[in-house]
Amino acid sequence: MTQPIDESIYTAVTVAIQAEAQRILSEGLVTAVVGYASARRKGSTQPIVITDAALAEKLIFTPACVNNLAVYLTKAKKEIPKTGRIGIVVKGCDLKALVGLMGESQLKREDLYLIGVPCIGVLGSIIQPDTAFTSDSIAPKCRECDAHLPLGCDFVPSQQPITPELEKKYAAEIDRLEAMTPAERWAYWKEQFSKCIKCYACRQVCPFCFCEQCLCDRNKPQMVETTPRPAGNFAWHIVRAMHLTGRCAGCAECERACPMDIPLNLLNRKMAKELKDLYEYEAGFEVNAKGPLTMFTEKDDQSFIK
Amino acid sequence: MKTYISEQNLNTLLDTLIAEGKRVVAPRMNAGTPLYEPLASADELVTDQLPKRSGKEAFFPLCEDIMSYEKEGQKVSITDIDPARFPETVLVGVRSCDAAAIPVLDAVFSWDYKDEFFLERRKKTTVVGLACTMADDACFCTAVGLSPAETRGSDLFLTPVEGGGYSCETCSEKGEALVKSYTALFAEACSSKALPLAEPQTEKIDLQKVKGWLDNHFEDPAWDSIATRCVGCGACAFVCPVCHCFDIVDEGTEKSGKRRKNWDACGFWKFTHHASGHNPRDQQPKRYRNRIMHKFKYYDDKFGETLCTGCGRCIRLCPVGIDIAGIVEEISKK
Repeated sequence: MTQPIDESIYTAVTVAIQAEAQRILSEGLVTAVVGYASARRKGSTQPIVITDAALAEKLIFTPACVNNLAVYLTKAKKEIPKTGRIGIVVKGCDLKALVGLMGESQLKREDLYLIGVPCIGVLGSIIQPDTAFTSDSIAPKCRECDAHLPLGCDFVPSQQPITPELEKKYAAEIDRLEAMTPAERWAYWKEQFSKCIKCYACRQVCPFCFCEQCLCDRNKPQMVETTPRPAGNFAWHIVRAMHLTGRCAGCAECERACPMDIPLNLLNRKMAKELKDLYEYEAGFEVNAKGPLTMFTEKDDQSFIK
Repeated sequence: MKTYISEQNLNTLLDTLIAEGKRVVAPRMNAGTPLYEPLASADELVTDQLPKRSGKEAFFPLCEDIMSYEKEGQKVSITDIDPARFPETVLVGVRSCDAAAIPVLDAVFSWDYKDEFFLERRKKTTVVGLACTMADDACFCTAVGLSPAETRGSDLFLTPVEGGGYSCETCSEKGEALVKSYTALFAEACSSKALPLAEPQTEKIDLQKVKGWLDNHFEDPAWDSIATRCVGCGACAFVCPVCHCFDIVDEGTEKSGKRRKNWDACGFWKFTHHASGHNPRDQQPKRYRNRIMHKFKYYDDKFGETLCTGCGRCIRLCPVGIDIAGIVEEISKK
């Protein structure tokens, strides 16, 4: 049954974000603040970079603030000058990406001013941004969120996020896929990947896809077929899932951004589950210099060496 | 000439065409996503959702082989694709915004170079358009001079009427031929009123004013504020009914392979990356500027109209909420 979700705390959260952004910009603590602003369509928002304290009043937070803004701080996003300290509005899931980027020496904590959002969740899709915020329209990632209050930020508005108990959809879907035979699973992904158009929205919104030249854009030699055909589509999505294993913390932006509705985060959640089972490792909680796939310990399973 | 076809007879028509070996492309669901794809049967037809990609791929596929090669010892043989083998096609249920896009593409693909792949498919396709009865706030066909009842690009145009079925307007010889071939399925024009058509809320944009501004503002700080947020994917171009850039790649092994044509997008960093390593569009706002310039200035300079039919797909699907209708409206007020 569809339950409305009370989003009223976002009104006070918006006011607090505006005041803090105004303060840190006018006191010169930061050179810019990356946040969300409202846009033309009813309920719509878009990322914005503010450098003038007078424009802090443009910042908002609503269930349509879906983007993981961490993507704008990576070296792949050259348009945003990385000079001085930068303020950024982060949800708990976005913060996990920043933690990962710090662990990979892409960002330094002292260069960031983190404005955390007490978060009750966001919409799963903003194709219709004025969709009512309910137990149906909430993003699947928010149903299993363990970071409603981001930890270790420089500022977090005082509102307490009160969230309803919701069924975990990814966990259920992974169970369903694991119960399939390999042939059935292959058929499932074959159908999903048949829709892939190689627009690379999944890659471009991903904070961890910061390679200045993606392996999949190389043509000498060509590692992955660039054509949107079964071979190249499978190769692309599998390469990407492997590359994100132990790094992806589940912001699910790839899945939201996919214009063809391919459930990409399922691949990432499955890999995260494997890492938890094999190495008791979860991405995004601590600034680890090395993840389980980039280091060796004697405790590692070596049974595959025959 | 106006006639009438019931929903049941439309299904019979599509099933008959399929049985005759024609390719019938129409909106259908593929793994939960509405797309224009070949139908296996008329039951698959979906008329209440705008497909996520446009109808252009009936003529300009996402990916197509343009030749194949084989190497045996020192001997290399190359085989061309024979466009004569492209199937006769009926493209059905095409919304006004998608149908109006077709003549816009015709101009490009038959300009100085005649693209035989596009033109042969085009020649063999009959377009059955569908008047649009639903709009959301991303729709802006009326802002760029079109409308939900626009028949441009359609050979036969269907308008849903009260009580079910469609009023049919023949708009070309191809449309007339289709009605004549299956005349038993069509009835005299009915007196039922057309269902209320969609009413996009965006106001008409002065496109000449937009072009005037673009003519003189290749360099302008506005591009940064519009497009710093652009993350550089190709979603907008790939879902667009009129974007038509493509890339050509060779794929295969030393022994055999294919040369293929794929959709490309000016939002990609790679799009203008030179072999020297230099990239004249080195930052995202310059790439997004090209998108706007091509749609509202360059295409107009060459062909005298706008490269946008207001379908709103790029607005709905942009991962970072870039809103071309809002941007162009702002420009028209400058």
